Amino acid sequence: MKKFYFLSFCFLILFKLASAQDGTKKTISVNFQQAKIEQFVSELESKTGYHFYYIQAQFDSLKVTLQATDKPLETILNMAFQGTEFRYTITQQQVFLTKGRTIRTELASGFFNTQPANQPAQTAAVVDYSEEKEKKVVEASTENKLYEIGIRTNNIKSGTANLAGYVRNIKSGETIIGASIYNPDTKVGIATDQFGYYSLTLPRGRQTLVIKGLGMKDTRRKIILYSDGKLNIDLQEQVTSLKEVQISAEKVANVRSVEMGVNKLDIKSIKQIPTAFGEADVLRVVLTLPGVQTVGEATTGFNVRGGSADQNLILLNDATIYNPSHFFGFFSAFNPDIVKNIELYKSTIPEKYGGRLSSVLAVDDREGNKKLFTGSAGIGLLTSRLNVEGPIIKNKTSFIFGGRATYSDWLLKLLPEAYKHSTASFYDFNLDISHQIDDKNNLYITTYISKDKFRLNSDTAYGYSNQNANIRWKHNFNNKLYGVLTAGVDRYNYDVASTANPVNAYKLNFAVHQTNFKTDFNYYLNPKHTINFGLSSIYYNLNPGDFEPNGSKSLAAPDMVAKEQALESALYIGDKYDVTPDFSISAGIRYSLYNYLGPQTVDNYAPNLPKESVNVIDSTTYGKNKVIKTYGGPEIRVSARYNLDDDLSIKAAYNTLRQYIHLLSNTTAISPTDTYKLSDPNIKPQYGQQVSLGLYKNLKNNTIETSIEVYYKKISDYLDYKSGATLLLNDHIERDVLSTQGKAYGVEFLVRKTAGKLNGWMSYTYSRTFLRQNDPNAGELINGGVYYPANYDKPHDFNFTGNYRFSHRFSVSLNATYSTGRPITLPIAKYVYAGSERVFYSDRNAYRIPDYFRTDFSMNIEGNHKVHQLTHNSWTIGVYNLTGRANAYSTYFTEQGGVINGYKLSIFARPIPFVNYNIRF
Amino acid sequence: MSLSTMVATGCKKPYNPIIADTNSNYLVVEGVIAPGQDSTFFRLSRTVNVSTKQSFKPELFAQIAVVSDANTSYPLQEMGNGVYASAPLNLDNTHKYRISIQTVDNRTYLSALVEVKTTPEIDSVGYIIRGNGVQIYVNAHDNKAKTRFYRWDFNETWRFHSQFPSNYKLVDGDPVYRPSSEQVYECWGNDTSQNVVLASTTKLTSDVVTQQPITFISSTAEKLETRYSILLKQYALTEAGYTYYANLKKNTEQLGSIFDAQPSSIKGNITCSSNPVEQVLGFVSASTVTKKRIFIDNRDLPAWQAYTYYDQMDCRRDTVRLKDVFTIHSAYTGTPPPYLPLSEPYFAAPIECVDCTLRGTNKQPVFWK
Repeated sequence: MKKFYFLSFCFLILFKLASAQDGTKKTISVNFQQAKIEQFVSELESKTGYHFYYIQAQFDSLKVTLQATDKPLETILNMAFQGTEFRYTITQQQVFLTKGRTIRTELASGFFNTQPANQPAQTAAVVDYSEEKEKKVVEASTENKLYEIGIRTNNIKSGTANLAGYVRNIKSGETIIGASIYNPDTKVGIATDQFGYYSLTLPRGRQTLVIKGLGMKDTRRKIILYSDGKLNIDLQEQVTSLKEVQISAEKVANVRSVEMGVNKLDIKSIKQIPTAFGEADVLRVVLTLPGVQTVGEATTGFNVRGGSADQNLILLNDATIYNPSHFFGFFSAFNPDIVKNIELYKSTIPEKYGGRLSSVLAVDDREGNKKLFTGSAGIGLLTSRLNVEGPIIKNKTSFIFGGRATYSDWLLKLLPEAYKHSTASFYDFNLDISHQIDDKNNLYITTYISKDKFRLNSDTAYGYSNQNANIRWKHNFNNKLYGVLTAGVDRYNYDVASTANPVNAYKLNFAVHQTNFKTDFNYYLNPKHTINFGLSSIYYNLNPGDFEPNGSKSLAAPDMVAKEQALESALYIGDKYDVTPDFSISAGIRYSLYNYLGPQTVDNYAPNLPKESVNVIDSTTYGKNKVIKTYGGPEIRVSARYNLDDDLSIKAAYNTLRQYIHLLSNTTAISPTDTYKLSDPNIKPQYGQQVSLGLYKNLKNNTIETSIEVYYKKISDYLDYKSGATLLLNDHIERDVLSTQGKAYGVEFLVRKTAGKLNGWMSYTYSRTFLRQNDPNAGELINGGVYYPANYDKPHDFNFTGNYRFSHRFSVSLNATYSTGRPITLPIAKYVYAGSERVFYSDRNAYRIPDYFRTDFSMNIEGNHKVHQLTHNSWTIGVYNLTGRANAYSTYFTEQGGVINGYKLSIFARPIPFVNYNIRF
Repeated sequence: MSLSTMVATGCKKPYNPIIADTNSNYLVVEGVIAPGQDSTFFRLSRTVNVSTKQSFKPELFAQIAVVSDANTSYPLQEMGNGVYASAPLNLDNTHKYRISIQTVDNRTYLSALVEVKTTPEIDSVGYIIRGNGVQIYVNAHDNKAKTRFYRWDFNETWRFHSQFPSNYKLVDGDPVYRPSSEQVYECWGNDTSQNVVLASTTKLTSDVVTQQPITFISSTAEKLETRYSILLKQYALTEAGYTYYANLKKNTEQLGSIFDAQPSSIKGNITCSSNPVEQVLGFVSASTVTKKRIFIDNRDLPAWQAYTYYDQMDCRRDTVRLKDVFTIHSAYTGTPPPYLPLSEPYFAAPIECVDCTLRGTNKQPVFWK
């Protein structure tokens, strides 16, 4: 039994260089049966005369059963150790037995710096160190330190290695989304994903990384990259400085990324924009972006590039929000204290998203502070907010909670008699938990609940609610591959109740429930290819309306429209391929499949005849979970970018999308009683295609971003309504809707200044949107079957949003918006009928309401910036609609006293001052 | 649901856009085929441009008839001002009927054949006193549950008086004692319904209409000054007829809130035989009518203060010599004399404050009790 000492061994091999092939000449014969290491070694020593070195404890478990005749020592050792972790090295009649790794018996090449430059890299070692299991993740929080990544080797091999990790806020431990990690030498860079994760392939050796994060101080890290490894980067929060107020982390991202038509905003820039009641509003900011329009002020439904309001997929932490507004649209559903950032995809919609035609608005909450308990509170005229966050297990698990509630009834009490007895209120709560299981596994639980109630002096009470919960598990398989598994439920429901007349008292409920499951994988194949793939499935359970008596005296007949079920599944794969540093393509395909499921009774209509009761041939009843109708098909997502210059690029994109769920609404704004409908044999899914082209140029050291994008879009099977359609409690909705085709085109200009005392953006959009119903078999032609402008067709749209920082503590914001008035249908003739003057309307949307113009102004005053104080506070004071212009929300003609009068309805017809007090602790 | 002024800062302003006049001249047909003992009335008119002052343009000299599905024809007589009428038709309810029109420009129009609906009796008409007025409602039902769709219209009559009683009238410029048969102090005003009032009981287990609001009279209305009466008329509708009236109401009475439905074209059941794409407005239905009248006395109501017509006017009595009444005031405005003598010898007041027949009739209606 020989003792083996590592140090002396090192010394030994350093000076006794020899060939590893030394012991190959002599052959021996052996026969071992369950031989232990001592027996095995002593027999080999006696037969070869070689000396064996090993650590006995490591070889406890070894039992050798082996028979060999006239074999070299190497062969015998190979046979004995085959399939085990044991390794051997033979040099100078000495045999070193090791576990797990092979001992190299030469100096690393270049050790004496004598190796000719053109000699291929040393390949003696046969083990890839990067496969080592428990490797330490390097935590990098300092700029000047040199961090070693991978297993240190004396010589640095040529070639590349992969570096991956998280970018986090050093103070709260929260991950940073969209931070860019950039290597100035190779000009290779990447942005962190929604988990703050990055994976980057770099040349091995000494490298510098430049890291820029949203609201974080720009920083750099020096690394020596030996082999694949992990580096978590902690960033310092940006202390508001006069020179560097930033909006985008990715200062070159707009030029460099392959994506088109994507707007990213963080909560800081959202908070700078003045809003009607002083509370930062995510959706109102979205409306200032080019290509986004709204039909009016008190609506949160928005229209992206000629799409209808239901064609936007609104996601809060990957959960679908069906009604994104509170309080008639005066507030958005997203608590500004919890929101981290938003991303709006208008053109290049990533393969992993689907199910809506126009856009994806992804709102992400912050992670709770992993280091200390903090919170904030805000007091406004109508609402108050509270947010608390902190660690559950320090540095591992954290929670964040946000809540909002109204006390708006006092405002309603000030109204004239006709509205005095109205009530309106809402609340919402967010609770998110994030947990780091280990270096490779993270768990995120997010929940959201909201409730709105109102009664507008009528005897009818309305209420609606969003409820969402989901759990996401992120697993890093290795540096290059990670997967996210998401499961969740999203619910939206509303109810309408009336009790005024006990005989007619009723309650009406509507609900849409969806259960989601999806997996998304991200694979950084090599520096040129990043691959996304995954699958998703949504099970819909929709209650289109049940009507029931309210109270014992009620004679209301219970009526229930049959519930609907459907399964929407999708499989996708996409590849971002950097063909050359200047030319990149992102190409993907998403195959979506939709099954309309039983139980259900479906009417069969005679072909080529209007879907009316007289044309029903028969009806078919399907059993539970029976597939009634299947729709599906590929969706193509392609975009490409070519850099013409360092700060100038051109991009093109083509997208197709499918939408299987339809909003039924014949009001211009999203109303709380709009219902949803799943595609069925009689209502086809919507299909959209968009082609777009853009030019991007950055000026003045990337502090000014400019872009021009043009697009053309076609939509088929979008639903419009027959005159006098009944949408609520309609068992045969297909008889009241019409399938239309749409086309939209436009050009969008954006100038954005991201740094300096003055920052903000300015956008101008020229766009048109038309619909057409020209199928004479559908029962009714709209406007004789020619194209007519959609409700949200507003050709000219200009927005300015700016913030000027006078000092660290005082800044002012100004917001100005102008747009063409939206189309309306006006009366062109009048007549007397049923005792009154009545009007006869023009073709649909043949006229327009007056143009829209509004300016808002706000001042942000912050308390002192001493770091160590119990609370930090700030004030926001401002005026909404500074010029007091009475913008028309709508115009209408109504009979009063037997005479038709025209009226213009404005929502905010005069300046509205507001004040908000915020406190952070 | 109207949110129009929900926010204190919201507002509603008159709006009169410039709309290119389109020379619209569509035929409008209004009326109900009365199958029983009532007369059938139809009114034909034409649409006019929105900017036109006069909104009613009668269609004259048309030939109009009720025609059964067995092609029996019952012509209507022209009564003037676009109204055409027939004596009671006593139709056979097992047949369907339509209207056939031939206009002076030789176009022919036909309505769809409609079934004859029998309207159930009105159970009761009542009212509820609210803080700011009186809500009049109706109760009705159909045991056979065959009606389901109801429409109402009504005639209102009320007694009112002028600001000052007048004991004299002017005859050839001279004040003469006014006989009681020519009194102008107490009159009866009347009005007809201006809104479409509808109800559907399809969402109820039985065909019962309970406290369906008909009209609301403000507490300050002159209608409630002394005594008020309403004659409610009930019509049964087919589902198509109900849809037509509901759309008419939606399009012309219920606009102006945030969640408004968009105006839509209203499709009636009349087409032009010679030009099927021509727009024809109106819906022809056939049903009996049932009626009920109630009275409301001011003494049964809370002590509300009516805001009368005279409160908007400067109704002051001037002292003048009786013989000067004519000469003084005809100098201002000519005839008829704007001032009427009140009592001997000194008082006179503007005619609007004195002569109630300017706004009603001084003959007591026959139904008035």
